[in-house]
Amino acid sequence: MTDSTAGAPTRLAVVVAGVRLASPLVLASGVLGTSASSMDLVARHGLGAVTTKSFSLDERSGHKGPTLVAFDHGFLNAVGLSNPGWEAATAEIRAFKARSDTKVIASIFGRTAEEYGRIAEHAASAAPDLIEVNVSCPNVASELGTPFEADAAVLGRITGDVKRAAGAIPVSIKLSSNFGVIGRMARVCEDHGADAITAINTVGPGMIIDVNARRPVLSNGAGGVSGPAILPIAVRSVYEVARAVKLPIIGTGGVASAEDALQLVLAGATAVGIGTALYEGLEVVDRVNRGLESYLAREGLDSLDAIRGAAHA
Amino acid sequence: MPDARMRTFKVVRVIEHAPLLKSFYVDAPFAAEPGQFVNLWIPGVDEKPFSISDLADGLLELSVKGLGSFTRRLMDVRPGDWLGIRGPHGSPFRLEDNSVLVGGGIGFAPLRFLARRLRDAGLKHRVAIGVRARDDLIFSTELTGYEIASEDGSVGELGRVTGVLEPMLDAARPRAIYAAGPEPMLLAVRDIAKQRGIPAQLSLERYMKCGVGLCGQCCLDGPGARVCVEGPVFEGSALEGVTELGAPHRTASGRRPTRAG
Repeated sequence: MTDSTAGAPTRLAVVVAGVRLASPLVLASGVLGTSASSMDLVARHGLGAVTTKSFSLDERSGHKGPTLVAFDHGFLNAVGLSNPGWEAATAEIRAFKARSDTKVIASIFGRTAEEYGRIAEHAASAAPDLIEVNVSCPNVASELGTPFEADAAVLGRITGDVKRAAGAIPVSIKLSSNFGVIGRMARVCEDHGADAITAINTVGPGMIIDVNARRPVLSNGAGGVSGPAILPIAVRSVYEVARAVKLPIIGTGGVASAEDALQLVLAGATAVGIGTALYEGLEVVDRVNRGLESYLAREGLDSLDAIRGAAHA
Repeated sequence: MPDARMRTFKVVRVIEHAPLLKSFYVDAPFAAEPGQFVNLWIPGVDEKPFSISDLADGLLELSVKGLGSFTRRLMDVRPGDWLGIRGPHGSPFRLEDNSVLVGGGIGFAPLRFLARRLRDAGLKHRVAIGVRARDDLIFSTELTGYEIASEDGSVGELGRVTGVLEPMLDAARPRAIYAAGPEPMLLAVRDIAKQRGIPAQLSLERYMKCGVGLCGQCCLDGPGARVCVEGPVFEGSALEGVTELGAPHRTASGRRPTRAG
């Protein structure tokens, strides 16, 4: 398929690990990433790439409800990594590629560190534009233990295994801010061949207790925090990763406006994830794109490259 | 914008229509429109979406049949128990004058709320309900003037609801058809409406998780429309490109089971 945007470069285009995105905005994993149709629904609003919901070797139903709940400053979610398994998930990637020019990122996770290489092989068979490796989901600790991102040796091994399995497809490792070591762990990923870092996953996890029912609202008890509350944490984390590594960064967390996205770019992000903000309507994508355009126009800039990481000066 | 906060309410009243068919009432300090749904949480059990079957005098009514593990657990809920609600969510029915409402089984629930609003607005409407048996009817004493069909002949005419619908359409020549119930019934009603050139509004059901358009679980294959946001009420014409109508629904994992048989 030809890239319909290739002939008409806009100021918003960015290149992440060799992948050209027509807009820096990337659909964050876990939001509207279940099917080709759901991803296209939002891609049509002007995304540079969509990321699938994380998938694993085997089908998983996830946690019981509630899996998501809002609070004053964002959301908590603990979906529990539900997914139809790699065969159905890669079929959706193929179907998406057949109907859309928007780039697609396959998000994968393993129940064990050993599984990642095999899942990456399956993911690569669908020829996504990039493979994102979820080693930082904060909502499955009771089942799977501490996320793999917390252990440098395990993280390095997973990164190396996925890189070998991915062949020519670039690999981004998705890290969270939850262990206070994101810069150091990003360097571990870089040392083991990662092509990019996605930062950050949901934060915490947190908990909301209903005072009448006198129990946590989420069936999992704890859930990762997303939305406006975590934007400053995402900005600081991207800033820290940008200091630690030379890899391109997909900055994600709490972005709901062009100004939010610009903060992440100034901290060092090349692309910017958007997820929870879609709650307000999918048009938020068009709005952020327009806001980025007018910022570049106002500043007389040809692209976001000119200001990437500028806050480090 | 949908409300995704969890609010808990004490159940003030429960009506038992049949052993596994009940209506639950909570004080509802919020507005809602017919066709919208709420995510209902039984603390410590699970959370599932239910169409609002009525909202009047500040009381929210949910009418539920005990079919699965969650709804059977709900049958044990009594006045004084706490239930959680997120919502109301979704796009409602559009009110039209001179309409026909077609409900199948407990799928009639949102049409009960719709009939109230049509009545309050002075809009002419007729109602057809199809059930398996008499025991599947809710508020059976309030159904005066409604056409009823039952598969076992225990109430109304013997047969399917489409059997009473067609003569009703011939007589009423309505400007709108509303339908809620099992998908095969919805598709039959859609086809009948299309043949006659009458716009149809159909209320769809899918496995839902977040209820507010974020998780993607309920997106329809084809246009990708979210049943929890763009739906659950869809114009018949909006479903033209949907490729999954009548197919088994995606499960909690997101996998679509292959059709049995």
